Amino acid sequence: MPEPKPALESLPLKAHAANLNFHYGDFHALKNIDMPIHDKRVTALIGPSGCGKSTFLRCFNRMHDLYPGNRYAGEIRLHPDNVNLLDRAVDPIEVRMRLSMVFQKPNPFPKSLFENVAYGLRVRGINRRAILEEKIEEALRGAALWNEVKDRLHEQAFNLSGGQQQRLCIARALATEPEILLFDEPTSALDPIATASIEELIAELKARVTILIVTHNMQQAARVSDFTAYMYLGELIEFGWTDDIFIKPKNPQTEAYLTGRFG
Amino acid sequence: MMRQDAAELRALIARHKRWDVVFGVVGLLCLAVGLLTFAALFVDMLVDGYARLRPEFFTEFPSRRAGQAGILSAWIGTTMVMLVTAAVAVPLGVAAGIYLEEYAPKNWVTDVIEINIGNLAGVPSIVYGLLALGLFVYEFGLGQSVATAGLTLALLILPVVIVATREAIRAIPGAIREAAYALGATKWQVVQGHILPYSTGGILTGVIIGMARAIGETAPIITIGALTFIAFLPPSPVMAEPPFISFEWLMSPFTVMPIQIFNWTSRPDPAFQANAAAAGFILVFMTLAMNGLAIWLRLRIRRNIKW
Amino acid sequence: MTEHLSRQYDADLEAIRSRVLQMGGLVEAQILSAIECLATGNVELMLRVSENDRRVNGCEIEIDDACAHVIARRQPAASDLRLVMAVSKIVTDLERTGDEAEKIARMARQIHERGRLQIPRAADVRHAGELAVAMLRRVLDALARLDAGEAERIIAEDATLDDAFRGIVRQLVTYMMEDPRTISTALDIVWIAKAIERIGDHAKNVAEQIIYIVHGTDVRHTAREASRYGQGEPDGAE
Repeated sequence: MPEPKPALESLPLKAHAANLNFHYGDFHALKNIDMPIHDKRVTALIGPSGCGKSTFLRCFNRMHDLYPGNRYAGEIRLHPDNVNLLDRAVDPIEVRMRLSMVFQKPNPFPKSLFENVAYGLRVRGINRRAILEEKIEEALRGAALWNEVKDRLHEQAFNLSGGQQQRLCIARALATEPEILLFDEPTSALDPIATASIEELIAELKARVTILIVTHNMQQAARVSDFTAYMYLGELIEFGWTDDIFIKPKNPQTEAYLTGRFG
Repeated sequence: MMRQDAAELRALIARHKRWDVVFGVVGLLCLAVGLLTFAALFVDMLVDGYARLRPEFFTEFPSRRAGQAGILSAWIGTTMVMLVTAAVAVPLGVAAGIYLEEYAPKNWVTDVIEINIGNLAGVPSIVYGLLALGLFVYEFGLGQSVATAGLTLALLILPVVIVATREAIRAIPGAIREAAYALGATKWQVVQGHILPYSTGGILTGVIIGMARAIGETAPIITIGALTFIAFLPPSPVMAEPPFISFEWLMSPFTVMPIQIFNWTSRPDPAFQANAAAAGFILVFMTLAMNGLAIWLRLRIRRNIKW
Repeated sequence: MTEHLSRQYDADLEAIRSRVLQMGGLVEAQILSAIECLATGNVELMLRVSENDRRVNGCEIEIDDACAHVIARRQPAASDLRLVMAVSKIVTDLERTGDEAEKIARMARQIHERGRLQIPRAADVRHAGELAVAMLRRVLDALARLDAGEAERIIAEDATLDDAFRGIVRQLVTYMMEDPRTISTALDIVWIAKAIERIGDHAKNVAEQIIYIVHGTDVRHTAREASRYGQGEPDGAE
């Protein structure tokens, strides 16, 4: 008999969304989302365009606060201290210091590789050369980039290839030792080989940090994630172990999306 | 059938390409008109004033004798006024631009301010002169001095600096901004660490273009009462004794290059016309040099920026 | 269920499904012919059964290949994935069923060549054969309709066929003990009865795959009590 998977309730949680609602102006973009994010696991968000998966992801690090007219309701609680990340009283800067994000198109700063990875640390007041060098090496190793760039840390980041730039952005996000690493379609701008190396990286990283990834490529979700959440029109339709969802989804809407039977 | 279509296609393309050629020629002619006119003026001034372009021209004061007249007080005056203009316009303009782009809430008040800044750029320069006369010369009691001239011209080019700052900031992709914020930076950290450094190229270009305009402004300077016959220099900013830096030069009477040129051209003696041509040539040269500097600086600073 | 966004995908899956049902029909005809051989000793029929078995084998290869193509091209998920996985196993069972039919025909020929026209327990064997054919026919029908309830019933009925087989063997043992000259023929009958019992097992395997397609649960090798689905109502009808 195949080994039974551990019960969902027994797995430690890193965060959970409870009754989360979000409005862009008048538009009700996220509706009553309840979802667990399990610790040191990869959770993937899938769904057709406009289903709200990126919107949901960007609630975690309060990116919506940067633009006017957005409103949160409900909670995203971070464990173990059980703080509600969406609370007005919680400073978004503090939230962003605990969670890091990697974006869809690689966006390194027009600075040297060293300064790119160091930025998050400098923002936290870490400026001592020795400490920076140590942490930067660790971050670049974590992003599987160290061997390629260790001799050219002071070159401009724009000289790297697309896949390398994205790994640089991952190193930049890792340098600050985040509690959750948020990936917003990290490989959609990359070629298949670069994509594969990033997916490999994600598989390694999950031993160190909880990962939440949005992807429009459901095969990618099948390859890299432990848990999958299917969203549609702002609602969470189904959540479960990736294996279960891809072989035996419970909800017919999930089934329709996975088998390409939209209509 | 296919071959016939191909032939028709080729004839069609040939017809369209003729229009390409026509526009190419017309465009070139228009460009030539502008360039040739300017070149003609430039060469004309050079020819007329060539004889006067001696080192003494730069070191002599103006005199009633054309042969002995020089532009010393004029170019020193211009330099000092430009210093004040830059020192005032740059901080004010850049700060205002940053505030409008990064800090101001997006409401109708901000929109009104934006529209009016654009309008300010179109206000005739003589109006600035009148404003300066009333405000700086009399109300603030600054008199007809370098400081007044500098402040007036600073006001004149302020809209240019603000707009250049805003455009340079807007050119920064949102993705870079989001990356900085996502790493936990505060607004000021993002402005200081990213917005300012990346927009420096664009801002500098705008500042220098503004200054290149200000250097030739005559009307407001006349209005505030710059003197036309100055046979002395404003006090030196650097002194031999403590405190080593003096600000007396700010309050001193002065003249600038355009005024000097204006003065010489209004005299009938052809020798003074030669002086005016020489001075005009030098003024144009200074303007071109400043623009060249702007281009070079922009290329250097933007070398590492790929957007 | 609505159709795939890709019509070609729908067509591919439909082609696989209909080929499987075709193969099933062929196998069913094979069994009926084989049982006929036993009764009549028609040599021509026996040769035809042998020939058709090659066609059955060809079907298995063809359908497996089509399944591999679908997996390579479409990366099927959820019910499509289960369908393709199940079809691959179903055609194996159908091919083996074809082999059993071929075996029955061969045994029948041996018996008739030996000249023994007296076939012990012929009626019982014929009855068992009809049960097996019925099971196969019903399971193919359930596959066409994706009826998990019917599949469940078929699984339960395999026990009946197993009992029938054991009964035949017991009778034949008694028969052999009474008259040792009948041992060769009786043994041949035992092999034939065993082949029929195996046909029932294969039909049961196909039924288990139907349950996997419809419900996603793998009920192979589990006790019968542990798998209860829809009593008397067709499940997941298309």
